[in-house]
Amino acid sequence: MNTILSLGAILIFPSGLFLLFNGILYEWLDKKILARQQNRVGPRWFQPLADVTKLMVKEEIVPTGVNATLFNLLPIVAVAGPLTAALYMPVGGIGPLLSFQGDLIVTVYLLSLLTISMGLAGANTGSRFSLLGATRTLTQLFSYEAPFMLALLGPAIAAGSWQISEINEYAGSHLLLLREPIGFVIAIIGLAGKLELPPFDAPEAETEIVAGAMTEYSGRGLALFHLGRSAELVLGLTLIAAFYLGGVASPLAYLMKTLVLLLGLAGFQALMTRLRIDQTVGLWWRYGSLAVLVQWLALFALDMSRGGIFS
Amino acid sequence: MRIGTMVGDTLRSLFKKPATEAYPFEKRRTPERTRGLLTWSPDKCTGCNLCVKDCPANALELIVVDRKAKRFVMRWHEDACIYCGQCLQVCRFDSIHMSSEEWELAAAGREGFTKTYGNEDDIKQVMDALAASNT
Amino acid sequence: METTMETQQQAETLLQPWRERMQAPEQNRIYVSIRPDELLDAVRALHDARWGYLSTISGIDPSGEDGEMEALYHFCSGPTVVTLRVALSREHPATPSVCAIIPSASIQERELIEMFGIDVVNTPDRSLLYLPDDWPEEIYPLRRDFDAAELVKREPRVTKPAEAEGETFVVPIGPQHPALKEPAHFEFTLDGEIVTGASVRLGYAHRGIERATQNMNWTQNLYLLERVCGICSHIHAQAYCLGVEHLAGVEVPARARVIREIVAGLERIHSHLLWFGVAAHEAGFDTLFMYSWRDRETVMDLLEEISGNRVNYSINVLGGVKYDITPELTEKVYKGIEFLDERVRHYLNVSTKDTMFLQRTRGIGVMTKEQAEELGALGPTARASGVLRDIRVDAPYGAYLDFPIEPVVATAGDLETRFIIRLEEIRATIVMIREMLENLPEGELTTRMPRRVKAGETISRVEAPRGELFYYIRSAGGETPERIKIRTPTILNLGTVIVSAVGHQFADMPMILAGVDPCFSCNDRAVAVRSADGDSQKWSWERLRQYGIERYR
Repeated sequence: MNTILSLGAILIFPSGLFLLFNGILYEWLDKKILARQQNRVGPRWFQPLADVTKLMVKEEIVPTGVNATLFNLLPIVAVAGPLTAALYMPVGGIGPLLSFQGDLIVTVYLLSLLTISMGLAGANTGSRFSLLGATRTLTQLFSYEAPFMLALLGPAIAAGSWQISEINEYAGSHLLLLREPIGFVIAIIGLAGKLELPPFDAPEAETEIVAGAMTEYSGRGLALFHLGRSAELVLGLTLIAAFYLGGVASPLAYLMKTLVLLLGLAGFQALMTRLRIDQTVGLWWRYGSLAVLVQWLALFALDMSRGGIFS
Repeated sequence: MRIGTMVGDTLRSLFKKPATEAYPFEKRRTPERTRGLLTWSPDKCTGCNLCVKDCPANALELIVVDRKAKRFVMRWHEDACIYCGQCLQVCRFDSIHMSSEEWELAAAGREGFTKTYGNEDDIKQVMDALAASNT
Repeated sequence: METTMETQQQAETLLQPWRERMQAPEQNRIYVSIRPDELLDAVRALHDARWGYLSTISGIDPSGEDGEMEALYHFCSGPTVVTLRVALSREHPATPSVCAIIPSASIQERELIEMFGIDVVNTPDRSLLYLPDDWPEEIYPLRRDFDAAELVKREPRVTKPAEAEGETFVVPIGPQHPALKEPAHFEFTLDGEIVTGASVRLGYAHRGIERATQNMNWTQNLYLLERVCGICSHIHAQAYCLGVEHLAGVEVPARARVIREIVAGLERIHSHLLWFGVAAHEAGFDTLFMYSWRDRETVMDLLEEISGNRVNYSINVLGGVKYDITPELTEKVYKGIEFLDERVRHYLNVSTKDTMFLQRTRGIGVMTKEQAEELGALGPTARASGVLRDIRVDAPYGAYLDFPIEPVVATAGDLETRFIIRLEEIRATIVMIREMLENLPEGELTTRMPRRVKAGETISRVEAPRGELFYYIRSAGGETPERIKIRTPTILNLGTVIVSAVGHQFADMPMILAGVDPCFSCNDRAVAVRSADGDSQKWSWERLRQYGIERYR
């Protein structure tokens, strides 16, 4: 690929600015829908944008006793993960820019980079609240990651490929939502876990540990974590829309499908109470894993009866 | 096992107007008994000073111009007042009132937070005396 | 069920040894003057026979030549209050600690030490309660010779931070923390996510109100005391009015009495709804928080219509009430409370059925009946554990004499029960308000009140939304009070938190704290400290538990 196109892809579309602004837009939508469900007005359209801008220009205070390099590096890693992963996903409805066999696995790991860097950032900082938050973030990562990944691999099995572009194409002609409903449910709830949305917001339970792993961050670092989160929201929605809602083939399909999912996610959030971290882990390891395993068994059975890859 | 028991509320709210009052673009009518801007009229005041004595915040100051002729000037310290209404309660001559319409009394500076009430010439006399004692 | 007569007689029998020094100044009041060395015997006599509970410890240093410093220990059972008056010498005021018998007294003894300079011998905790860490030594705010000018000349105290015992992981909550609506400082010692110890430091909202009341006249104090707290402001004013009116021998007209309780009822609804929203927020159920606070606006609007203000209603005056409830207002109130009744029924449904919410409340923060009694829990916190303590029933006052109420009690003692109790109380209060409005007696709103109140002492006890509110008022016959002592329910309820916190997950802390409905503004004249170590001066959870088991064997 020639350099200009590559740079363009990284900085502007589909990654870079497009992704970040998309993230901010979806974040606003999420907050607005949540507010309207609570009979409130909600933020005006420019609120999240203003928040990020303000954070970017504020002074960054590096607490004493932390490893300064890590402190400054981790937010960058946190936002780099989703930005890179976006290159492999059909963001914006235009087919993934880059693609290779097995890029699904790589993408899922790139998406986890955000959570891992948040956990490390919290541990690095060492204040009471950050440590508790870091512990919870990482514990939660271990609980939802397996079922979430398996739920995403379900469509991969059905499509017979580990490549996102191929799965996207396959999903375009087969509505996997109908074939793998449990997988869909687990995927979307898993996304809530990944993004630390209620009921899985124990890692940043403001009434218990102030802001969890990000307590000591301010200014640019906090803005980058924030952006990383919003970007992950977009990517998570894109992935699930692409896999389960019949593929993302055009910008219109992208917009509509991700918005439908966002609506569902926001609706789900409003009805939930925060779970304690041990309850989260218990829930995922007991019911989450079980559900996904059932789904996979069904898949195998179906596949074998049709003489597919596993027969 | 029930999840999402608030779903009735959340779905309904999506189609209703928010409960938030869009102040200052929308203002509801204030109840009659709201205790807002305080005013005093000298006509019936006898100078009994009960309002001054009983004010918990020491926000009222009655300055005597001529006790026999019942000429007084009242200074109300808006910034000290706690809007409790005790002065209204204790006045037997209906001299003090609190407005239920004017209650947006916040300001950006302290000037104007002391209101002086009384007949014009009385007020002038008091203010001149104050200015003289300040120089 | 004992009658009041029997309760009183029982107390007199228990305190036989001090018969000659016993006085019954009025109905339901017994004063016993004792020496410091006799205190423990007297306390033991009452405690072993399970006569009532220690409600308040107040100090008093009256002016006048023959004014004697005293420490007053008030024990309450039903409407009867037995006050043990310990005479203290001025040169070296000392009294023994009762903590060996009643551990929860530590809080109030700390107040005696810092406010009066009374040496409470053998008390387990001598640290400052309300006064700031740099308050100079040996200057006591509530002594009659306290001089503010002298205060500023003294050297500030140097308080060394407490030594941490070994490798402990301590998480502070407060004074600035999103979980707290008012500043306080809690320290939880953690082992992973399990709490092994808890302690509290208060005084961040201390305004020196008890001292300030001595400089303002009886009418001015009404408004000062109303502002002790925002959500229980009316009940504070009412307790004060009841006491002062009693001293002055003034009887409030019937209509005013009922209006006071109607507003108190509306305030109770307001307070419980506020608490409900905050507790939901602590649990992470923001939607419930938003809706309950939206509904709370209804009761605040009603109060605004009646009194002109949403908070600090100022409807009480000495001798009656300021504002009348007109038929038009009555209609509005009916509409408002009907809406609230329906909403509260919905919230009861949510609180008892929503699985996710129940996971945060069912079986969490359990406090047994014995613990509640022993630690002196009050109000809905106690009633949720089966301890029926409700002043409106035990010692009815005001309109409750004509409109008796049925208290709401439950036995499970966990967080869910505390939710249920308070929501049911809202519904019970709505029923009461309807009844009162329907039967509002005709008449005047106020009675003439003298400017000087006759010399004497009185105790008024009322049921605030959080429990028993205790006012001790003393007049020297002048225009200003001699002493006003306020003991708010949260002081005693906080002690229960420290106990029920240990052994729970850290994530449950905000919920458990919220469960007792703490009101720090009310409360900032108290603190409790407890830690889970083996220090012989301090009581560990194990030791307290063992004590409880032995006592009830």
